[in-house]
Parts: sequence; structure tokens; C-alpha cells
Amino acid sequence: MVMSSVGGTRAGTMSPVDRAAHLNRWRHRSLTEKAVLALGMLALAIALPPFPAAPMVAVAMMTAALAGARVPVMVWLACAAGPLGFLLVGALSVIVRIGPGGLGLAPDGLMLAACLMARSMAGVTCLLFLALTTPTTDLIAGMRRLGLPVEIADIALLMYRFVFLLGDTALAMDAAQGARLGHRDSRRRLRSLGILIANLLPRAFERARRMEIGLAARGWNGEMRVLSRRTAISVPGLALVLAAEAAVAVIGVLAS
Amino acid sequence: MTLLHARGLTYVYPGGIHALSGLDLRIRAGRRLAILGPNGAGKTTLLLHLNGTLRPSSGEVLLGGETAGYSRAALSAWRRRVGLVLQDADDQLFAASVAEDVSFGPLNLGLDEDEAARRVDEALTALRIADLADRPTHMLSFGQKKRVAIAGAVAMRSELLLLDEPTAGLDHHGTKHLLAVLERLEASGTTLVFTTHDVDLAYAFADDVALFDGGAVLAQGAAAEILADEALLKAARLAVPLVLRIGLKARAAGLLRDGEALPRGKADALDLVERLLGEIRPG
Repeated sequence: MVMSSVGGTRAGTMSPVDRAAHLNRWRHRSLTEKAVLALGMLALAIALPPFPAAPMVAVAMMTAALAGARVPVMVWLACAAGPLGFLLVGALSVIVRIGPGGLGLAPDGLMLAACLMARSMAGVTCLLFLALTTPTTDLIAGMRRLGLPVEIADIALLMYRFVFLLGDTALAMDAAQGARLGHRDSRRRLRSLGILIANLLPRAFERARRMEIGLAARGWNGEMRVLSRRTAISVPGLALVLAAEAAVAVIGVLAS
Repeated sequence: MTLLHARGLTYVYPGGIHALSGLDLRIRAGRRLAILGPNGAGKTTLLLHLNGTLRPSSGEVLLGGETAGYSRAALSAWRRRVGLVLQDADDQLFAASVAEDVSFGPLNLGLDEDEAARRVDEALTALRIADLADRPTHMLSFGQKKRVAIAGAVAMRSELLLLDEPTAGLDHHGTKHLLAVLERLEASGTTLVFTTHDVDLAYAFADDVALFDGGAVLAQGAAAEILADEALLKAARLAVPLVLRIGLKARAAGLLRDGEALPRGKADALDLVERLLGEIRPG
């Protein structure tokens, strides 16, 4: 855990992904537009032959995230680095094979690896776009509208809220342990971590109990109903999304 | 008019410790009441009895003269009339954005969406946080969270608002801002009750004080009277507020003019000291 992030601010554990999702330029575009763009492009990348459709999707989705929604490039790169590294390792194992003469190139290996990379990259750009432009709570609200049971949506929402609260608590406890030399060597660090985790559970229960009191004081009767501000779907926006997808589909089929 | 009357409340924690023992407390409409007690006196436990969260082992709470019940319907009516703001705002905020969170209470009251939206706007404006409406609740500072939690209670327009240590952890500016907001709220007809261990705050801000320690209200009355009683305060491990002490000393020395009131806030005390200094060294 990074000590420097402990600071005075209570937003200590807010992840860069969350920050981007809340602060990007397309934050208030309707969920429908963003979901149709990301999931539609994802479907195209999977369904069409990988060349040239997959690179087109990747370029389109990167442009949408970085130029359209103005997600910070560094955040985007940091998020993409994980899956990309994983992909590279996967692709390498497709290129290489162990034959009778030892390590060699697999037949069609390069082509296969290229297809795999292109398709997966395209998929990653689609999901990153959605994750970095749409807050989790919007996604939960969207799934609720699509028929996710209210109870599950409420639990998901509370879990999301508790992740931050408990994360802050954990950070503070970690800093306090460090201040009392709890991280001096690896043995002690492990022990401290064990204590921290063991202490987090009763704290979580205590907090849940207090939240129940807090919500009951506001007339809670078992349902978490709030007024959500739903942005109207912009018809030109949705038309543009569908046009882009149609273009990718046509070129993707004709030029393959 | 008595809004709420706690009569003979006794509450024993599991484990046998008496949190309340035969407590009596009267909350009058339009009188700002400070429940003043040292750390660990059980102020929060008391507040939780006043909105029906905890049920006393004996004694009763009367709302507008009638004994309050603990059925689902009775509790719901109780919370409609009596709002509560917890000390840690994080215990009250759960929704994705500030506006959504504030709308929770009004919707629980059964209001339609238009009326709920109006209440939200009104509460956010009253707390001067309309610009935070779309912020996610975990992206707020401590003071902002506090204001959002209060807005959530304000939007329910209860006649009585209980606040647990409302200024705890707030800086000078935050405290001033919050007290100004509460004053405006009071002007719109809400009776305020707050807990504190801060005698200076109680003296500067409350009309009445209920001195609370050892599970009972030791004395309840006008702030200037209760807070001038050194022996009484000492029994509750508290001391006479500095501003009041200055005023009392000035009066005892015959330095106050005829009919001049005792200073209430720090600014009053400073004015008094400056005037007296001016009299010593004219020009």
C-alpha cells in the first residue's frame, strides 16, 4: 500500500479509474450511447474477421476515450498495461512451439498471434472506454433498468460504497502500523497485515450497523430509492455511434 | 410548547452498564437546546432514544404529549417528525451522488418525484452546496460530507432536528458556516437540539442547556444560568465558558453598564475588553 496517499483527504482510496469515470468530458452523456458504442464495437471486433475490423475498432475506441471523453492518457495507459502484458505473453506462446527439434516457430504462428492480438486489443479498448467514462454506479443503475433485481442492485451499490470506506480505514491502519515500526522487516510486515485484515472485519460490521441506524433515521423501509438524474439520449450522438459501427461493419466485411 | 418529552428513561447496555438511569428531558419548540456532557457520558445513546432507534428498558418518550410507540408505523411517523444527523457523515451517505443521496429521505416520506426533487434543490441551496449536486459522495471533503448529511435530514422537513456533535472535526470556517446554516434552518421553523462537550459552543449558540452525565440530566435551563454554575459543571467534569467567565468578572467588578448584557460570543467579549481598555487609557 502506498503510504503517500494517506494524507488528510478522505478520498484517499479513490482509484484513478473512478476519478476518470467521474471527471471525463462524457460523464453526462447517456449510458445508452456509451454502452451501445462500447458493446456494439466489442461485438463487431469478435464477430468480424480480425483484419481490418479489429484495428479499426481499437483506433475508434481509443479516439473516443482519449480525444472524445478526454480520459487522461496516462490513466488509459496504466489501465491498458495490465491486459496488454498478459496478451503479449499469450501471443508469444502461440508463435512458439516445442517440436521434435526443440524450440521452433509454429506454422501460421505469426498470423495466429497477430489475429489474437488484434482482436483482444480491440476488446480491451472497448471495455476500457466503458470503465473510464462511466461510473460504476451508473452501470449498476443501467443494469437495474435492464431487469437486475432491486435487491442485488442495492447490495452492489452498498458494496461499492463500502469498498471506499473500508479502503480508507485500511490505509489509515496501515499508516499507523508503519508509524510504530510494524513494517520493519518482511516477517513483521506479514504479521501486521494479518492483524490489519483481522481488524477490518469487526470494523466493517460496526460500520454496517451504524449505517443501518443512519438510514433508518432517514425513514428507510427496506428499499433504497433515490432520484437519479438520467441524461436524455442524444439522437445525433446515438446516430453517430450507429453510423460508426455500420462503417466498421461494412469495411470490415468488404476489405477482409 | 413541549415537542418531545423523555420521561424516566433507563437503558442498560448488554453487559450491565447503565447508559441512562431515570433520565428526564424536555425539548421545547423554538428553543435551541444543547445536550452538554463530557466524553463517554452517553450523548449518542441518548439521541438514539430520542428518535426511537433504541428502546429504553423503562421510561417513555412523549411526542407532542402522546406516548410514542415502537411499531413499524409508529417509528415511521416518529422519524417524520424527528430528524437525526449522526456524528460521522459516512454513516449516513450511501448513494452515488449528492443529489441522489439527499433525495432518499423525501422519497421515503412517500413524496412524488417532482416534490422530492424540489426538496432536494431546496436543501442543497439552504446548505450552500448546490454546486456539489452531481458529485459522488466519496469525492467530498469532511466538511462537505457533513453538510450533505445535514441536507439529507433537512430535505425531510422535520419539526425537530437532532445533531450529534455537529461541529466535531470542523475547522473555524466550517463551524461558522454550519452554525449560520443551522440558524437559517431554525428561522424556517425547525427546532434544533445538538450534543456537545464544548461549553463555549453551548454558551455561544444554545438558548437552553441540558447538563448530562452519569446517565441523567443533572440540570436543564437557560444557557447563561446553567453555564455560570461552577459547582454543577465541575460535577460533570466541565468548566465555565471563558467568555461567560470574563463577563461575570466584569459584572462583579462593576464594569458592566446598567442593563448591559453579558457577552455571548468571542466577538462580544472582545468588544467588552476593548471598551474597558479604552476607558483605562482614553484617547
